[in-house]
Amino acid sequence: MATQSEFVIETEGLEKSFGDQVALDGVDLRVPRGSAFGYLGPNGAGKTTLIRVLLGLTRPSAGTMRVLGRPMPKERSRALARVGAIVEEPGFHRQLSGRENLWIAAAAREPAAHLRIGQVLEQVGLADRADDHVSTYSQGMRQRLGIARCLLSDPELLILDEPTNGLDPGGIQEFRGLVRAWIAEGRTLVLSSHLLDEVEKICDHVAIVDRGKIVAQGSLSELSTGDDGAITIGCDEPHKAFAAVDGNGSLREVEETAGGLRVLVKPDASLEKVAAELNERLVGAGVAVHRLEPSHVSLEHRFLEITRRLGGDS
Amino acid sequence: MSTLESSVQIPPSRRPMFRLERAELLKLRKSRGVWIPTAILTVGFIIIMFTAVELFHVSNSTKYGPAGGTLNFERALFLMGQIAGMIAAALVGAAAGTQDLSSNVFRDLVSTGRSRTRLYLARIPGGLAMLLPLVAVAYALAAVLSVVLAGGLATPSVTLFIKAGLYVLFSASIVYVIALGLGSLVGSRAAAISILIAYLLPVQGILRNITVLGRARDGLLSVAVERISPLPPPDPHDAVSMSLATSLIVLAIWVVVFGGLGLWRTRTRDA
Repeated sequence: MATQSEFVIETEGLEKSFGDQVALDGVDLRVPRGSAFGYLGPNGAGKTTLIRVLLGLTRPSAGTMRVLGRPMPKERSRALARVGAIVEEPGFHRQLSGRENLWIAAAAREPAAHLRIGQVLEQVGLADRADDHVSTYSQGMRQRLGIARCLLSDPELLILDEPTNGLDPGGIQEFRGLVRAWIAEGRTLVLSSHLLDEVEKICDHVAIVDRGKIVAQGSLSELSTGDDGAITIGCDEPHKAFAAVDGNGSLREVEETAGGLRVLVKPDASLEKVAAELNERLVGAGVAVHRLEPSHVSLEHRFLEITRRLGGDS
Repeated sequence: MSTLESSVQIPPSRRPMFRLERAELLKLRKSRGVWIPTAILTVGFIIIMFTAVELFHVSNSTKYGPAGGTLNFERALFLMGQIAGMIAAALVGAAAGTQDLSSNVFRDLVSTGRSRTRLYLARIPGGLAMLLPLVAVAYALAAVLSVVLAGGLATPSVTLFIKAGLYVLFSASIVYVIALGLGSLVGSRAAAISILIAYLLPVQGILRNITVLGRARDGLLSVAVERISPLPPPDPHDAVSMSLATSLIVLAIWVVVFGGLGLWRTRTRDA
């Protein structure tokens, strides 16, 4: 029985191994309904494996999952009927036209899917080339056709694996517009990507995955800003500056850079207060400071910080 | 694009029928690498055979008889039922079993939530809808030419025409399902076709001549197919005797084993 759950995807202790290789290691994921959810991780982190498990393309080794409130794989057919997905590069019958490929895809979906073929081709900007063989399409056009195919089922949930691969800058811009429209219509998007910038621009919720484990999960603002902050210090003597600020109780990390220092401030400390305090110390130590820039920690920094830390642990 | 609230609903009476089967047919029909060789092996071979025999007859009518008549009809039937027709069925079946995998479309079809069994079963009527019309056209051509070009020779009876027609369609269907299962099992069209052609042509010919195998030869596909043919065996000494019921059981086993293996692999394969 499906319930209008707060989450469109819920997994608990999901595991998948290929021989000795662990691809998913106890994944607990919750994707809020109506969100644009970024599933972010380096290559080989297990992003595509999770999507394949969620879509029933491969079986999990352990764990439970619900998609659109329905247990998987028990109610797989009913759950996936309202899911559109691109997994890795979308495949097509190259001897057929784009329209014919969508016709074949619609045949496996609900009967109304055939009525949407024209609409979705218009939506992804392929109406003019719809009757050309897919073998004549560029990679970007095939990616658009893949997105069109996802939309055939009028999905509540879209799961897209690296969807902007092959799209030109204009296409990426259009894709972002489409995503905004989908979210406005009440759909949920799960975007799997290793491109931080893409996730930051499109998503409002993020999970960071590394070596099959989810290492952080939450809203983009929680993950990329919160009270965490950084201060970039430009000075002429980085080494001397390092000695001057090192040991400050408000700092989590101090790092020498080519033009000075970069310090990470503890979450409970005020970024502005710490900046003023550091400036005073540096001037007092005789370091000429020419730049002092408090900033929020970007998702990129957080991502690299988490994955690097985990890398160091192993 | 419709919003979630305005999803289109089609009443059951207006829903298009056999959509998956028609999709399978479309894929095969639009694949030149499938339908051109299939058309050549069915219609083409009959045209070539009757044309060649007729040309011999026209060039030297005392030495070569007319292209039509019962004997040439039987030759055409052998060609369709046990050689070219089987290879054509193997080509189409192997293509039907592998084309979604080789194009990476299988992944999309599975991710729709459609049952894998349903996806697999749709390939049977879908592929036969492409194969059997070509076999039927080839057979009709052979029947017409055997009468039109008979000259003074006796022509086949209506009963033979009917039995022979059913036989070529049946044997092509059997080989199609076996090839579909094998293709789905191994996942490679080239491998499936190679295995089948190797088996259909040299291997089973060798096996049926190994007398030490005795009754085990009843399990060979060609032996069972030959038994259901309305024609006498081409070489009476070569024939392995078996009842019609046994031959039907043997054919059923071939279909169930290979069809079942293909279904099992389709259901369990990582997409």
